[in-house]
Amino acid sequence: MMGIYCMKVEVIFQPEGKHARVKPCCSILEAAKLVGADLLSICGGLGECGKCRVIVEKGRENAGSITEMEKVHLSPTELSMGYRLACCTSVKGNLVVRVPEESRTSRQRLQVEGIEIPVKLEPLVQKYFVQLPMSTLQDSRSDVDRLLDELYAQHGLENLKVSYNLLQRLPCILRDSEWKVTVTVWRSNEIIGMESGDTTDRTFGYAVDIGTTKLAGYLIDLSTGRVMAAGSLMNPQIHYGEDVMTRITYAMRGHKEQKELQQVVIAGINQILVNLCERTGVNSEEVYEMTAVGNTAMHHLFLNLCPKPLGLSPYTPVVRSGVNVKAESIRVNIKPDGNVHTLPVVAGFVGADNVALILATEIYRRKELCMALDIGTNSEIVLGNKNEILVCSCASGPAFEGAHIRYGMRAGTGAIEKVILDTGTLEVKYWTIDNAKPCGICGSAIVCILAEMLKAGIIDVKGTMNKNLDSPRLHTGEDGLEFVLASREETSNGGEITVTQKDIREIQLAKAAIHAGAMILMRKKGVLERDIDMFFIAGAFGSYIDAESARTIGMYPEVPLEKVKVVGNAAATGARMALVSKMAREKAEEISNKVKHIELAAEPDFQAEFINSQFIPYADLARYPETSELLRNLGKYPKKPIPIFPYGRSNK
Amino acid sequence: MSALIKTIREALLTFEPDKLFELTEKSLKKGCSPQEFVDAMTVVLREIGDKFEKGELFLPHLVVAGEAAKKAISVYLEPLLKKARTERKAIGRVVIGTVAGDIHEIGKNIVSSMLYTAGFDVIDLGKDVPVEEFIKAVKEYNPDIVGMSALLSTTLPMQEDIIKALKKNNLRDKVRVMVGGAPVTAEWAEKIGADGYAEDAVEAVKIAKKLIGDKNR
Repeated sequence: MMGIYCMKVEVIFQPEGKHARVKPCCSILEAAKLVGADLLSICGGLGECGKCRVIVEKGRENAGSITEMEKVHLSPTELSMGYRLACCTSVKGNLVVRVPEESRTSRQRLQVEGIEIPVKLEPLVQKYFVQLPMSTLQDSRSDVDRLLDELYAQHGLENLKVSYNLLQRLPCILRDSEWKVTVTVWRSNEIIGMESGDTTDRTFGYAVDIGTTKLAGYLIDLSTGRVMAAGSLMNPQIHYGEDVMTRITYAMRGHKEQKELQQVVIAGINQILVNLCERTGVNSEEVYEMTAVGNTAMHHLFLNLCPKPLGLSPYTPVVRSGVNVKAESIRVNIKPDGNVHTLPVVAGFVGADNVALILATEIYRRKELCMALDIGTNSEIVLGNKNEILVCSCASGPAFEGAHIRYGMRAGTGAIEKVILDTGTLEVKYWTIDNAKPCGICGSAIVCILAEMLKAGIIDVKGTMNKNLDSPRLHTGEDGLEFVLASREETSNGGEITVTQKDIREIQLAKAAIHAGAMILMRKKGVLERDIDMFFIAGAFGSYIDAESARTIGMYPEVPLEKVKVVGNAAATGARMALVSKMAREKAEEISNKVKHIELAAEPDFQAEFINSQFIPYADLARYPETSELLRNLGKYPKKPIPIFPYGRSNK
Repeated sequence: MSALIKTIREALLTFEPDKLFELTEKSLKKGCSPQEFVDAMTVVLREIGDKFEKGELFLPHLVVAGEAAKKAISVYLEPLLKKARTERKAIGRVVIGTVAGDIHEIGKNIVSSMLYTAGFDVIDLGKDVPVEEFIKAVKEYNPDIVGMSALLSTTLPMQEDIIKALKKNNLRDKVRVMVGGAPVTAEWAEKIGADGYAEDAVEAVKIAKKLIGDKNR
């Protein structure tokens, strides 16, 4: 009798050359996920974002028929050229699929550097070398007693436990090393490792920032506190959805799905470590501790904690304090008995990354009034100093990552990253990443563009494009008015790159959320922008935006530019500080306890602030004197006063 | 009428709600009937809605216009219409709220205002509204339409729960269900058996009117 089995077909992904063997009727996106092929998916495969564009180069007849959704996102020309949406296309037979640049997540600019804060070096991991007397008939102490006695005699250590893993290997190591060993002790309390000879100068640790979009890992020499190597990777959870809520929704389906999300992010964390170890000649068994930061959802998914309460009001985390878990139980590939420490979180949407940022910028101990803005997939704002710290989370949305923008893309090769407009001729000068031919606009550029358009009078303070402007760069498209940045001849794919009226509205909505958050915190603290002494812009994205353009469009209050400090990945700096310093870890715990979380959605003034912040830079121009002056000089200051939506109104 | 429309348009688009109230008083004094004024305002609001969808106008325009119109109707015009016994006959009645677990309501509030100014009787249950409260409100107010807003993909399932609860209570056939909110899509609306879905407040009003039209047939 013939067995019935399913014929598998092959999908080859170029240019990576990855081969996926799949059952027919799975989608191209699923095949990509299976082999880890580099392919963007912002909506998690629902056919909504239109960003998983691929070109079917061979085997078009083996691809499922074109769906209605694809007709929305792909033009007839593109469809005839073989363009498809990977999530909508089912695989019926062998295919060769090319992933075009704009659909790739790799070659993104990944921010890894950050500020370095000098901190007292006292890691929780310490190594001690001991030479033990051999066991004899007269001295027949057990191996462990012998060891502990010597550790006390030579180093004054007491009350040490020996891990079970080590117990099983201990006798061999002692005898192979002729009783000369180095023990690794964690928290002066537990022996987690033993090595032959004197290896006291080889103590390493691993600090990780688990970003929603990007993972950043740092291999640290714990004897010096120095970063030996750093690396990054797109968070593999991206295949399950671009944003936190989509991933939480997936995890809520069940234990299996929740575990899946944990496994893929840990796989990414381990992958970075392998790379860092290779580059530095460090063995993963020499990495004795790991610290991790991330927003609360990332934190929960990493620890396999149920994220469901995070998705529903009142958005409470399972645990707030720092958590310690053995590496082997969470399958992180540092020393199996090594500790993995997650920094404490603050609230459902303000996570360990925020605590780490406060640690790194030292806002918690400064007397100056500080504000910090962490712009990312979610944006957090911090306001305060050693007396009091307020934090809030803003739903700015993915517009700054390029989503919902007609020609938006992630920061990668060919993305326009900076633009200057001549205010007279409206001529455009742009710069692209890697100086490649432009194929889209990235988040940092959009901020720049909006500021330039305001200064050039292409948009007014309401963000409305001026249809009476006489310029060959201005015309009407399907999304309304648009301004051409790059013509067909200039771009890499032969299409125009424009900024549309709808794009501008998207950015207004995004930046208004952040600005409103900042204003609410300032109101609550009873301060104005002139009271702010230090202003930090953090987050991977934050390092690439032009602080001045961002201020001009009203992304943050008009703080003097000389007080603005771009601090890169401050969350990662905080993770490193907690790795090398016991005190930093204690401070982190204090910070998370002390910080006051403000839930913006529950603030009665939020709606009014959100409305007023839609204006570019802000409805109340008196709060933007420098920008107002600039606009006046350019003849672009609004002729009629802008009405300010009143505060303190309830909606009933 | 067209002159009136012109002045109302100016008042609303220049963010001067007080101008609208002055205008209301002046027109009424001059002999304009409350109904005429409401009709003129409706024309302008529809225009504003269309321009908002195109991106020519933005959120503040919509919100300010909606709130001003709402106030003009509830404070000035409705009392007069009541007195003259030519009360604004509501096009229909809507019960609307943001689902349980969700505290976002700016979008829902804009929809509420716009439905009201478009001639609907609106009962706004607020935010974080449990399923039972939706059911209770349907029993109490007998609406034509139930509108549910969810801003997070994690609270989206509540929309399905409410529809199931309506069925369980034998109320599903008595109302038309509309859903909205950032993560809501036409596919989701179809999947859960909603009658209508709108991407923004302007579309919401159009869909609501259509549902009433269908219901009355």
